[in-house]
Amino acid sequence: MLIELRASDDRLRGPKAVDAAPILTSAYRAIADSLPDLSRVRVVADYIQYRQNFRDAVELRRVEPWAIDSATLDGDARSWEVAIDLRRAKPDLLEATLKDALDETNGTSSRLPLEQWGHGSRSVIWGFNGLYWKALSLWEQATGKSYESALPGGESDARNVQAARELILKLFELWDNLSTRRALPEELYVLEIGVGNGNQAAVFLDEFRRLDREKGHGYYRRLHYLMGDYSPHVLDLARKAVAHHPEHVSSLVLDALRPTETLGFLRYKAFLVYISNVYDNLPTDEIVRIGGHLFQVETRAVFDRSAAESLATSVHAKPDDLPELVARLLRLGPELLAEVLPEHFPTVTDAVTFWRSAWEALRLEERYVPLIELDTYEIAPEIGGELLRPIVEANGDVRMHVSNGAATSFADTLPLLHPHGVLQCHDLFVTDIHQYVDGFRGPGKYDGSVVNWVNGRLLAAIGNRRGFDVSFASFAHRTGANVLTMTARSRD
Amino acid sequence: MPEPAPTATSASVLDAAASKPQHANGTTPNRTVLATSVVGSYSVPEWLERLKTDFYQRRISGQYLDDIHEVAIKAALKDQETAGVDIVSDGELRRDNDIDYFLARMPGVEIPHVAKTFYYDYYEAYVRHPIPVDDEGATLHLVDDLRFTLRYTQKPVKFSFTGPFSLARRVHNEAYSSSDDLVMAFARILNREARELAQAGAAVLQIDEPFLAGYPEEVGLAVRAINQVYEGIEGPTRAVHVCYGNRYARPVWEGHYEFLFPTILDAQVDQLVLEFARKGYDDVELFKKYSTASLSLGLGVIDVKNPHPESPELIAARVRRALQVIPPDRLMINPDCGLRHVPADMARAKLSAMSAGAAQARAEVLGTSTPA
Repeated sequence: MLIELRASDDRLRGPKAVDAAPILTSAYRAIADSLPDLSRVRVVADYIQYRQNFRDAVELRRVEPWAIDSATLDGDARSWEVAIDLRRAKPDLLEATLKDALDETNGTSSRLPLEQWGHGSRSVIWGFNGLYWKALSLWEQATGKSYESALPGGESDARNVQAARELILKLFELWDNLSTRRALPEELYVLEIGVGNGNQAAVFLDEFRRLDREKGHGYYRRLHYLMGDYSPHVLDLARKAVAHHPEHVSSLVLDALRPTETLGFLRYKAFLVYISNVYDNLPTDEIVRIGGHLFQVETRAVFDRSAAESLATSVHAKPDDLPELVARLLRLGPELLAEVLPEHFPTVTDAVTFWRSAWEALRLEERYVPLIELDTYEIAPEIGGELLRPIVEANGDVRMHVSNGAATSFADTLPLLHPHGVLQCHDLFVTDIHQYVDGFRGPGKYDGSVVNWVNGRLLAAIGNRRGFDVSFASFAHRTGANVLTMTARSRD
Repeated sequence: MPEPAPTATSASVLDAAASKPQHANGTTPNRTVLATSVVGSYSVPEWLERLKTDFYQRRISGQYLDDIHEVAIKAALKDQETAGVDIVSDGELRRDNDIDYFLARMPGVEIPHVAKTFYYDYYEAYVRHPIPVDDEGATLHLVDDLRFTLRYTQKPVKFSFTGPFSLARRVHNEAYSSSDDLVMAFARILNREARELAQAGAAVLQIDEPFLAGYPEEVGLAVRAINQVYEGIEGPTRAVHVCYGNRYARPVWEGHYEFLFPTILDAQVDQLVLEFARKGYDDVELFKKYSTASLSLGLGVIDVKNPHPESPELIAARVRRALQVIPPDRLMINPDCGLRHVPADMARAKLSAMSAGAAQARAEVLGTSTPA
């Protein structure tokens, strides 16, 4: 049996430590009593910092065998992974809970599945995530707080004047240089993806205009600031924040996964692309390497049976009706749902309440399936899985995010950059694969949306293969945050 | 209605190479009006990129990689022939990028670290002592590559190589007080290569200057170096390719070809191979604005930065646009730049569309029906 503690040092010893010993002892007793072959069991213990997440304190994951193992082992070659949340696990309850779970391994699950097993990036949780941004105003009305206040620290990282000034002065320097060589285009484009409440845009534009007047370039006259966001509600807010720059701002509803679909005209023209807190909110798969073999983490969204019964009762339905009701909620949104199913949702408020309760009850079951032909695995359109090989092979056994959505968005945004353009992104990045070993990197729940740390190593590899140097630095203008600044600029 | 294309005279249907001797592979020079060609590089599939990188990480041997390159080159030739390209190339598939293959073989160039994490990365190269330009034995052996290509195709072959100006831009010059001297030293070395390539039977020689567009004030130096490279070269069409960059399938520079003129007219070359499909065809007018009667144009009709294939009709329209300015006997049809970054299936589709589009335009020029 292998036991792996994936927590930071300060959670394993010192004043903030969790006492892992009794938790692991309980797990050991349950496993030893329930499974005949201890060599096929691994126990992984995370400290999940997100109070809202998709896991119970103890979860059981099946590890499907590689073909070569099936051929050489007698009988059932499946293995098991026991996943424990060190923050929430109670030693006195854990043994019984885990025994129950192990007893169920040959029977049916006590949970209600909302979907078939599949890649994590295709899970129904992303439908919830998308609905949150589309119907954000209804969610905010129901909770009485803005989405920004649900972020860690209570605000996004995009309203710092000094940071804006540094960016603008670098742009001026570049443009002066291009102008000298008569290579500066007439139109000067800046793109922001994921505009938040518009504060970043407002700070940037105010400072831009002030510095331009001070230096007398006349660049403000030529500036086009494009604000792109998935959420019309967020764009409405942002537009108000920059209403005093009407001739220089355009706003577009934009799918961050495919910016070139909306912004094809911008190819090779953007001098600055600014992205803040977007990538950590995009769909991702996870892969895991165990004993040198690669596995895909397949997921399935479920409700616990008791939660399902309570939820169903609240909308005058049966638990088995829930998968369809959830699917219709995600397809139609709460307003239309209330219109077409008044017997379950007499008012829009009832539909929103159902949405919030379903989100809170949502769990993800996981299993590991062999990932045999890495070249046929698609990280993102036209980015094959082989790009992962040097990362996973250099770092031993590890479980990590593929950050498919971030990879897709990043790769699709780079072509928009002018040959001398810069992409700057503030987000939660994993820059050393070892960070997957000493901490939990998602998924967690931020209010009604999903958060996963972004695999920065993979994004750097993608950028490198496209001719960009990609670097990471602490966000210079805010201390104590996990947010890093990723910068991509053309090399050579 | 597009303006009617100029009618080809009987003389104009012979391309610039028509009066040249028979090629080394036994073919006669290309005589097709609006002949099609490639700029040089051909699609590098991901598996080949991986194998090239494996070589630098000592996972496969140089011998193994040589064999792989040869197989890939034969396939690239077959693809071009199948697509109907008239003048083919080896796809530059042995080359990691546009620079390293030449610098690594260039006498007097030092490359301290030859390992790479990705094959396409550039080496850091140094010239610490004057290049031994008078050493007749110092050679890049480019002619071996040409001879291999000629063995495996009956088509006329274009051989492209990076020019001295761009090569010098990727070198740390510690030997010459003036970078001009380094450029001209490279030019003298490349002149020996060009002579061997001409002797061996290249139908078209092409100097690529991928960095020139970034240094418009240096065109004079580049032209002097081009003339040095082509000094004494007779037989092949002598071409120069200038584009706005294609590293990682991205433009490196922006601007217009006006910067080349009129200085480029002093170059002892037969053909300019230029990029138009991505940027538009306004710069074709430069051929009317300046006295270019002695120059033919390799007209870029395929946008190599867009993976989607053009239609034959679009290609034909682009050719017609150029024909408003340049007579058909001075036009050759090619992609904007190398196809290195275009996926193989798209590269095949693009070349097929280029051939079909050129055939349409050719039929209009000659007054014949378009071949099925």
